[in-house]
Amino acid sequence: MARPIWSGSISFGLVSVPVKLFSATSPKEVRFHMLHDKDGARIQQKRVCSADGQEVPWEHIVKGFEISKGRYVTVAREELEAFNPRATKAIEIEDFVDLEQIDPIYYESTYYLVPDRGASKPYALLVEAMKKTGKVGVAKFVLRTKQYLCAVRPLGKALAVSTMLYADEVVSQDELEGLPESKPGERELKMAEQLIGSLESDFDIKKYKDDYREQVLALLERKAEGEEIVAAEPAEAPRGKVVNLMDALQKSLAAAKKGELREAEPDRGEVRRKPHPHHRAAARTARKRKSR
Amino acid sequence: MDVSIEGRRLSLSNLEKVLYPKTGFTKAQVIDYYMRIAPVVLPHLRDRPLTLKRYPNGVEKPFFYEKNCPSHRPPWVKTATVRGSEKQIDYCLIQDAATLAWAANLADLELHVPLHRWRNADRPDAIVFDLDPGPPADIEQCREVALLLKGMFDTLDLQSFAKASGSKGMQVYLPLNSRVSYEESKPFARAVAEALAAKKPKLVVSNMKKSLRAGKVLVDWSQNDPHKTTVCVYSLRAKERPTVSMPLTWEEVRKGPVSFEAEEALRRVEKRGDLFAPLLSLEQKLPRLH
Repeated sequence: MARPIWSGSISFGLVSVPVKLFSATSPKEVRFHMLHDKDGARIQQKRVCSADGQEVPWEHIVKGFEISKGRYVTVAREELEAFNPRATKAIEIEDFVDLEQIDPIYYESTYYLVPDRGASKPYALLVEAMKKTGKVGVAKFVLRTKQYLCAVRPLGKALAVSTMLYADEVVSQDELEGLPESKPGERELKMAEQLIGSLESDFDIKKYKDDYREQVLALLERKAEGEEIVAAEPAEAPRGKVVNLMDALQKSLAAAKKGELREAEPDRGEVRRKPHPHHRAAARTARKRKSR
Repeated sequence: MDVSIEGRRLSLSNLEKVLYPKTGFTKAQVIDYYMRIAPVVLPHLRDRPLTLKRYPNGVEKPFFYEKNCPSHRPPWVKTATVRGSEKQIDYCLIQDAATLAWAANLADLELHVPLHRWRNADRPDAIVFDLDPGPPADIEQCREVALLLKGMFDTLDLQSFAKASGSKGMQVYLPLNSRVSYEESKPFARAVAEALAAKKPKLVVSNMKKSLRAGKVLVDWSQNDPHKTTVCVYSLRAKERPTVSMPLTWEEVRKGPVSFEAEEALRRVEKRGDLFAPLLSLEQKLPRLH
């Protein structure tokens, strides 16, 4: 098992359960390194002074906060450490609330809490009790140097902790322009509802794959095997005109009522024919049909 | 029996074997059908990775799909290597009559191909809508849906073409031949199917879920995908009788015969040529959706 990120206890009221914290997610992005194209050597990053062009060692780097264009106040590490939240070693549940009341916009990262030695029984009790009541705990805890707000909830056999944003970290919709003011009409709404109904299914996360990552990995694998690879020409974006399918469908329904039927007319409008070397026989047949 | 087709030597076996017990249609007749239909079917098969659907003991006995081109193939059978994320597949390419005869000799009754040619695996030549009736809906409802699709495309100044699946349903094709990618064609197909389902909820579904389909026509848009195949035009079907996936005129879609067996299919092609020829050459731009 991986090493815990943190250990401490989860507590509410007089109950305190020793726990360890582990990452619950592992995003799988394909990562690249920067290389020099001529000799394939790794690129190194250096911190360079913008005034004299010389490299600056770590001990001479301080933090600066820009108060106005080009004006900074600097702080030393010790000055900030004085404000570091006290590492309390506890996840203290302050409230129990309904999960539905928390909008997903607040969630950041999720971790698992695993009982520390000897804490298995009270841990199981907490998981079970939270499942029974259907509540999640809202707590604060300190991880590294930051105080996090978090939601603690039962997930399978474990407790999961999701760190959350504070209210002022979420962008207010008042800052957005162009959100609709008016309500749609009854009929349109009904049609849209039917459409949603026809697409209804059960959420199955396994259905969704990261195609991009799979393609990149397949490409890398082939390259690793020494294969020469020529980039495929990207397909052109469609330049066709903009159409409204519902209008087209409406007209189709009207035509169907009148019993209109139009057979293929190969030379109509903007349609062009392209003779294809492999298909000469087929093209001949097509021409024959036309001349009849 | 050793034969020579266009200068290529090929050994045919078990020619008297009955593959369609209900009608007594033999393997010799299957090969004969494919040889006589070859001039019109080959341009549609050319350069498309073929999925074999083999019925070694006839249509009433188990079949199997074969994507990898059998290793005991003659040296002149062309293949296309397609690499997926996990494995690589060498597909057969049916480039000529000899290869078609060879596949027929393997009791590959049905020919299944993707919408693209192998060198341009991202670019479909057409969009297909597979109309699949869920009982008690049948071919009559398919006719209605196919005509609605055609009407829509007419309005958009796009030509569309229909064929009988040779089984229970129909397919409607929209030729593109214009460098459109699946990333564009699939969402378009889906939007069309969903618009139909929203407008005619009693007639059409666009969702694969079996429970929703009773009495309705599934307008399956999901075959517009590089990994999917559709039965090729003029392919035989492994049904009770040797029916063919046959191009139809729109008048026939409205009210006409939509089921054709091998012999009828051949007579029809002789008389009318390849009604699906525009699929090979007609260039149409995909409109953007509003």
